[in-house]
Amino acid sequence: MDYLFLIGCSLFIIGAIASVLIQPVRKALSFFVLINTLAAAINLIFAIKRLIELPQVSNLFPVFPQYASMFRADGLALFFLLIITTAAIPTVISTYSYLKHYIHKETSVRVFIISFSLLLLFTQLLVFANHGIVFLVFWELMTLTAYLGMLLEKEKEEVQKGSFVFFTATHLATFFLYIFFFLLNDNCGSWLFSDFHISSASGTVFYLVCLFGFLGFGMKAGFMPMHFWLPWAHPIAPAALSAFLSGVIIKTGIYGIFRIIEFCSPLPVWMGLVILTVSLFSAVFGVWYALAQHDIKELLAYHSIENIGIIGIGIGLGVIGITNSIQPLVWLGFGGALFHTFNHAIFKSLLFLGSGVICHNYKTRNIEKMGGIVHHAPWFVGFFLIGSIAISGIPPLNGFMSEFLIFKGFFNGAAALGEYYPLLMLLMTAGLAFVGGLALMCFTKINSIMFLGTERSRLDSFKVSRTDHTAMGILAFLCIFFGIFPQSILGIISSAVTLSRNELDMHPYAMFTRWEFLTVIFAGVLLIVMVMIIWKKFSTKQRISDAWGCGYTPQTPRMQYTASSYADEINSIASHTLQIKKHAILPKTMFPKKSNFVSHSEDFSEKRIAAPVYNYIVSKINSFDFLSKTDIRFYISLMLVIAVIYSIIAIIWP
Amino acid sequence: MENVLSILFCLTLLYLVITARLKTYVGILRAQGILLSVIIIFPFLRHLSVHILIIPLMSLIVKAVIIPRFINKIIIDLDVKRIIEPNIQPFNFLLLSVASMSVIFIMSHVLSGYTPIETIPFASAFSAIVIGLLLIIFREKLIVHVVGFLILENGIFLFGTSIAAEMPTIVELGALLDILVVVFLMGIAVNKISSTFTEQKVTVLGGLKD
Repeated sequence: MDYLFLIGCSLFIIGAIASVLIQPVRKALSFFVLINTLAAAINLIFAIKRLIELPQVSNLFPVFPQYASMFRADGLALFFLLIITTAAIPTVISTYSYLKHYIHKETSVRVFIISFSLLLLFTQLLVFANHGIVFLVFWELMTLTAYLGMLLEKEKEEVQKGSFVFFTATHLATFFLYIFFFLLNDNCGSWLFSDFHISSASGTVFYLVCLFGFLGFGMKAGFMPMHFWLPWAHPIAPAALSAFLSGVIIKTGIYGIFRIIEFCSPLPVWMGLVILTVSLFSAVFGVWYALAQHDIKELLAYHSIENIGIIGIGIGLGVIGITNSIQPLVWLGFGGALFHTFNHAIFKSLLFLGSGVICHNYKTRNIEKMGGIVHHAPWFVGFFLIGSIAISGIPPLNGFMSEFLIFKGFFNGAAALGEYYPLLMLLMTAGLAFVGGLALMCFTKINSIMFLGTERSRLDSFKVSRTDHTAMGILAFLCIFFGIFPQSILGIISSAVTLSRNELDMHPYAMFTRWEFLTVIFAGVLLIVMVMIIWKKFSTKQRISDAWGCGYTPQTPRMQYTASSYADEINSIASHTLQIKKHAILPKTMFPKKSNFVSHSEDFSEKRIAAPVYNYIVSKINSFDFLSKTDIRFYISLMLVIAVIYSIIAIIWP
Repeated sequence: MENVLSILFCLTLLYLVITARLKTYVGILRAQGILLSVIIIFPFLRHLSVHILIIPLMSLIVKAVIIPRFINKIIIDLDVKRIIEPNIQPFNFLLLSVASMSVIFIMSHVLSGYTPIETIPFASAFSAIVIGLLLIIFREKLIVHVVGFLILENGIFLFGTSIAAEMPTIVELGALLDILVVVFLMGIAVNKISSTFTEQKVTVLGGLKD
């Protein structure tokens, strides 16, 4: 039992080494998929077992007792291990058919295989790190392996650019984290997470620690003003990696935020309110930006920001609950956030894997060029639809369940806290509902444009391999399962929330809703819907005509409704923030001439915040250009001069 | 005895500053290698063992035999001009070196009041570092740069022995290996670029900039 995690981790390493040695590359790929699925399954079993048994904190690697204090398996870490492995299994399975395309094209996939298996390993070790420096090392390794994995199609210019943005943004985040950990170490005199504790009594340092922690982890998670790297990095990564990136890696930022709450307790109330506001902002504008995109992967990347916002709202609720010591609110906020983190890992992986299949067949990511996929691959479309319903938060799927917990938290908070809270909670409820509405709009847009209608560009065949079906099927099943039986995981979440807060008695709040009623109702609704579908299929006569023909006979695919026209009405409300640019060449005469229309949306924070700051820094650095010489002797004399100056200062210093 | 050897080490540094012949540079490298090996063996003379002898022996072989031989080989292979053209008056250079060395010696004497260091080995080590750097700054030939880096490294080697009684064996061996590899790499690099840059001077390397 104790050796499970060690075995799992060593299997990842074996997988990485073997994929270098095994010839030919096709066999290496099969081996990689098999062994990594196995390893992830072992670690998944480990996580579930530990979470159910509610053990005392114990050594992860029994073979190396000297490193016992470096790693710690508490409830939060185990829960994130559960998320990582749950998302890892389907993504690894899906790489099999995805990478085969590249092997056909004779692209070198070995680097991707190695970096992906190491990425899986490092992400798992990261959440167990109990030592500031160990954490930073794994954080860095995780970034590097993700970056190397992104470079699968390194000859494309957008890949080079996007991976560079990812690299710089995550290193900026790492820089903030260095300051965060150094300040904590300075204040607590230890590097161990279990010794980190700082309270607002220590004054400015407390606020600095919080600031840098939230900046660093928030940047990784993709909260709104710091999200600009996500729409760059996700579209260019290979499908399996972008699924893992969006499903898991940005969640390490959420993990970090939970740790901040653990280290810096209690957070003042206003910080909880700030978290709530920023999160609501991220959620609303994340989904609104998503609505304005035509690029399927960029759209999904913006949806990640939306979901991170929803998770953040849960965290904010929990923080308010802690400071006002209202336990149900703490549980509903943190529990909802953790549950949504888990759910998002499932349905976002599903959607990204689906988008990978689509992009492979169409060789483009522009949804305006797709259409009628449902006629080629009904099962595939069904799975994608399940993911879409789940992410929009529609019952009876899992996305609804986690949002339900957060909504319940709003009502609970409004009831338990007086003052201005009822009004605030009302606003938050409306905001979250609005987010759900926009998400629904966005997913009706992509589902109807991509899957329904007639083909906008010629497509001979739409291939979905068996492994893709398997991977997406597993995820779709999980979406339904946790929608109907949320009680199966709520106990685990409850122990994760309590264990991470060092409270040994479990809160009974997990069970204070009669979940079995929901199960019965949802299962019944699902059954009725299925019966209706079958009944409709066999009873009524079907009229066969062009999709959306509307009685117009000589129809061409170009006459169909487009995604941007569908979303235009709502986008025009926030057109200034969304930076929607329209370029049209329209005929001025009454006779038809050649005309065209292009619209695209630019990211506000990238264009107005990140890019100006970056350009300013670059221009300032360029003004030191005179120091750049080609002669090495110049640099060495510079070093010597500076060393002398430092020594003089050191000597005359009192 | 250590102090005497350290002073000897400093004298080789001064000789290095005024000489203009490549042969002398190599010879001095060899002499310094032998001196260093003797210096690090001194504290352990009472209780010698095979384990302790590893490092002096290795450094003797690497610093006094392999590296000088390799540099000689490069000089002969590439037919480098055997005399360097100084771009600073030898006397001025000597004056600068002596001045910096005296500052270092005085400072180490002051420092020895606060921290437990052996003044003379410490100061000699420091001088070697500074003079290695000065050599790189004031000489243009690539091969002299290699020598300058090696002198710098000799200084660091001596530094370690003057601060702690013994550095961990593995660290010392690692450093030795590093130096060996660096010298080989530089030799190969100099060899490769010899067809384009016949002069072997750093000033022309700016042409490699893109």
